[in-house]
Amino acid sequence: MLGPGTQVRRSSSLPDRPDRVVSSSIRGSAAAILAAALTLLASPALAQEQPPAAPAPAPSVVVVPAAAAPAPGTGDASRADAPVTSDTSGPSVPGATSPGLGRGNEPTRVVTEKPSDHEGKFEFGSYGRVYAASDLRGGTGRGSNVVAFGPRIVDEGSYAELELRREDKWSERVKGRVVATLALFPPFFHFSGKTDQAIGVRNLYAQGTYDKLTMWAGSRMYRGDDIYLLNWWPLDNQNTVGGGIGAPIYKSEEAPGRTQYETVLQLHAGQQRLDNPYQSQQVPVVAPFGFGTVDVTKLDRPRTIETVKLTQFVRPGGGAAGFKAILYGELHQLSAGTFNDPLTKSDRGLPEDSGWMLGSQLTYFTGKRDTYASLVLRHARGIAAYDPLAVPITFALDRTTSGASETQIALSGNYEREEFSILWAAYVRFFRDGSSSATSTQKYDEGAAVVRPSVFFGDYFGLSLEGSYQQRRLAMLQPGTNDQLNASVAKFGVIPYFSPSGRGSYKRPQIRLLYVASFRDSGTRALYPVEDVFAQRKTEHFLGLGAEWWFNSSSYP
Amino acid sequence: MKSRVILAALFAGACSLPEIGCVSVPDDGKQPALATHVDDWRDEVIYQVLVDRFANGDVNNDYKVRPGYLARFQGGDWQGLIDHLDYIKELGVTTLWISPVVKNVETDADVDSYHGYWAQDLTQTNPHFGDLAELRKLTAAAHDKQLKVVLDIVTNHMGQVFYYDMNLNGNPDINIGGSGPLPGAGSQSTITRITEFDPDWDPRGVQAFTSLGNAGRAPVIFIQDPSINRVPPNGILGTAAAYHGFGRILNYDDEKQRTLGDFPGGLKDVATEVPEVRLQLIDNYTRWAELADLDGFRIDTVKHVEYDFWKQFATSVRQRLAPQGKNKFLMFGEAFDGNDKLLGSYTQDGMLDSVFYFSQHFQVFHDIFANAHDETQQKGTEQIQKLWADRVVNYNTQPQPGGTGIPASKSLVNFMDNHDVARFLFDAAGDKPALRNALVLLMTEEGIPCVYYGTEQEFAGGNDPSNREVLWNTGFPTSGDTFRHLSKLARLRAKYPALRRGDTKVVYSTPNVHAEEDAGIVAYERTGGDAADQYALVVINTNGRHMSTTAAGAKAMKVGRPGVTLVDVLDPEQKTYAVPASGELRLPVAQQQAMILVPQDQLKP
Repeated sequence: MLGPGTQVRRSSSLPDRPDRVVSSSIRGSAAAILAAALTLLASPALAQEQPPAAPAPAPSVVVVPAAAAPAPGTGDASRADAPVTSDTSGPSVPGATSPGLGRGNEPTRVVTEKPSDHEGKFEFGSYGRVYAASDLRGGTGRGSNVVAFGPRIVDEGSYAELELRREDKWSERVKGRVVATLALFPPFFHFSGKTDQAIGVRNLYAQGTYDKLTMWAGSRMYRGDDIYLLNWWPLDNQNTVGGGIGAPIYKSEEAPGRTQYETVLQLHAGQQRLDNPYQSQQVPVVAPFGFGTVDVTKLDRPRTIETVKLTQFVRPGGGAAGFKAILYGELHQLSAGTFNDPLTKSDRGLPEDSGWMLGSQLTYFTGKRDTYASLVLRHARGIAAYDPLAVPITFALDRTTSGASETQIALSGNYEREEFSILWAAYVRFFRDGSSSATSTQKYDEGAAVVRPSVFFGDYFGLSLEGSYQQRRLAMLQPGTNDQLNASVAKFGVIPYFSPSGRGSYKRPQIRLLYVASFRDSGTRALYPVEDVFAQRKTEHFLGLGAEWWFNSSSYP
Repeated sequence: MKSRVILAALFAGACSLPEIGCVSVPDDGKQPALATHVDDWRDEVIYQVLVDRFANGDVNNDYKVRPGYLARFQGGDWQGLIDHLDYIKELGVTTLWISPVVKNVETDADVDSYHGYWAQDLTQTNPHFGDLAELRKLTAAAHDKQLKVVLDIVTNHMGQVFYYDMNLNGNPDINIGGSGPLPGAGSQSTITRITEFDPDWDPRGVQAFTSLGNAGRAPVIFIQDPSINRVPPNGILGTAAAYHGFGRILNYDDEKQRTLGDFPGGLKDVATEVPEVRLQLIDNYTRWAELADLDGFRIDTVKHVEYDFWKQFATSVRQRLAPQGKNKFLMFGEAFDGNDKLLGSYTQDGMLDSVFYFSQHFQVFHDIFANAHDETQQKGTEQIQKLWADRVVNYNTQPQPGGTGIPASKSLVNFMDNHDVARFLFDAAGDKPALRNALVLLMTEEGIPCVYYGTEQEFAGGNDPSNREVLWNTGFPTSGDTFRHLSKLARLRAKYPALRRGDTKVVYSTPNVHAEEDAGIVAYERTGGDAADQYALVVINTNGRHMSTTAAGAKAMKVGRPGVTLVDVLDPEQKTYAVPASGELRLPVAQQQAMILVPQDQLKP
């Protein structure tokens, strides 16, 4: 559901660092951030209460057949022989179906869903980006970042999400939603020639709202505001199977010229158990009956995560501009387990582990053309220093992540005025693993700064330039030197584009040409094995053609 | 530029926060200033450590460890050593001899390179043990505690990095047929195998063959298997020209085989006579001394390399290190051989400072001490006297130019056991009094004592790999009898210069090992030389069955300090013994006991 001033901006990439997984993303802009938090509660009632700065959703295309009546002759849809559902979990009674069915020579029956006694509709939404690119040396364009959250340009790769959603409204107080989002991971068929497309289920959950209280359960991307240029959610980004509850706990009276306050509280608990020997292991044992083996679960220790998020909106004078402040916390737990070492065929204990994270966000938005500025601070300890979709690869002596920490400071913003806009972002991040060694690839400082100014030519065309600098400083010696290993990359890009939906940093779809040059120092080249051309090349080119789109997503309104 | 400024400002601000700080490589992980840390190598007590077996200080380099399987990686590393330097200090040893640090072929024939002797890249650290910064931290931490570090190096061979394509099929075949008895003892089979990884010695060079007969020299094919780091070495060592290619040594007494043949296990013999190869070996290994401020090399398999190499190698290393402030750099070689003359030959002018005293290992520690429980096997202590008398005959009596300043004859590296032989207690059938008695000789004889890790914990493993036990399983106790005994001996050696620097005079030995009055007795004085008038008399009864005396009938021990009262500093009660004017001293010594006697006026608190 898109409306002016409420832009969906999201993307995704595959995990690219062991300590940090970058997944899908949403960009926060002024009104977008406000709307995002409100829509997390996914309440049409709340949507109706959105301030003027966040206009009500534009009319959606209702794809549900209106007042679908039973087709003549088919009778009530509740009949046992009426295949109105794809649910195969119900009882199947032999002989219960009509003897005439299934012979293949009877006329096609049209079964129509019983008319609903409430408002309901199906929605389709999508996010996607697809690129083709050359490195100008005869190969494909290749990402060149050395930090976990480097500029998305060049490195983000192709990716798409397809969302099918059911929206229901039983009354003004009771509403519901079921969301299914499939993610498509590259390479796609036309590039690889392979049909075994990798697909991930990114959303599969149901949500209900009673008055102002919203509850959900299922598998869900659950997160806040992102930094578009870095393809990154700097504060909160949960990808778990679980559930949550939230509600506005305070909202000031609306009156012209009066400063508006609103406080929203959200709680969530979820878990994930990655298919990795760190959390999960199946081992074959002798079958209790007959021959052969059966698999039993040897290691089963999901990571359980609880989050709490308190969001405060303030709009001075009740205008479109305002502030958004967030306090956010996470608790992570991982139980002890037993792992069967395939090298020795012996059991090894894995200790329990835990962690916590505290973070905050302060955002100012103008309410006009996605102009905003945001600051995010975050500090995590123990297992919480690692993204839930990542597995630690280094440990303390007791094989826990005790001693690990992650500290982040992130800045971002967008400014648009007439034919000009500028997107910018910067962050620093300090990651320390729990290992006893003073030197480790998992002890580093890193940061990136990126600026993307754009000029719009008319309403549909534009030219963006992007400049960025990134650096990772590792607690390692650079091979062959007595210097600390510092890897840095400077990038410069030119992006002319066509934007059918109009001018703006966040208008999509966008069909682009892009050229990016990456300038890589000796520390960066030292990160690659000598057999890799990236160990030698100082400059990388990326000349590409691509598109990015987003529309009508439930996760990122 | 603007992005760079923004990022720099963010870094600067965040790094100033005490909770965060900026990441850095510790100072002791950076290039150290080279220095000479040793005054006189005879003052040192070497402690030999197999890094993989000593202590696990970082679980993150436990790549493919298999706890409990001693032919496999166990997880020890340099950080573990750093963490337990106090244990080493408490033991009283003063120098660490660490197993090789270079990157190895990971595994071969289901045995891992945990020992470090299967080199693949002479310029990289073995990631199982740590990175260069951690190696430097180890040497820096050791030096801070007045410990020195000697590195184990191998110039004779590299790991299993190529195969001989004997059947010319382009595959590394483990078994390509053959017939005849297996070389191993006890083989009854008439069928043996020929493997392209480790074929037998052939004076023509390993030959290729087909069904029609011989086909000339078998091509040397370097293996490309990155999964186990079995890839060609750098530089000339990654070419066939750097290897002899004669196949595995079958007869160690044949000098040609010994110096040109592959080392058993498929370890490819390096053509050390090739100038480019020599230069690369010299440069690669000297670089480690420079990178980590090492204090010496223990050099593996020296008898498998031509003599000429050692002159160039040793001289070049000394000449390169000296201008950088690194003097008295100890280089001692390992020749696994009981031939005393052969051992001494590697200490000729310009060669090595010292060698591992293998002849003593066999003739003294094994034949006399370890056999104390078996009088039918035990040899008399006159064997000690004869062997020691040959030190000035078989070993260089002049210091090497630019070397340690001590002649090899006075600085042989004495040892009871090491990683290549069964532990002393294994040979001694668990006879712990014999072990402690042998330690007295080791710690009081002339030369540089070397203790194999785990001796202090009474490890009793048999031959490789059973003699390479995991030390951390003991919990590093320091209260055991042998630990305290060795620690006491080390303190006495440090306290009394005569035990370190004095010349040696055997004042009593005997061929007797049975019920004789003096069976098993050996006694020697340490005085003079660089110890000046300092004096110590060591008396040991190696007999495991009865008290013996330093006399037999009219024959009696005669010492060089008549009229002096001697104090037994090894005895907790410090009993005294007055030496008569005749100098004859008849001392009864209980079975497998010893005395360390010093003049009362030289007694130190």
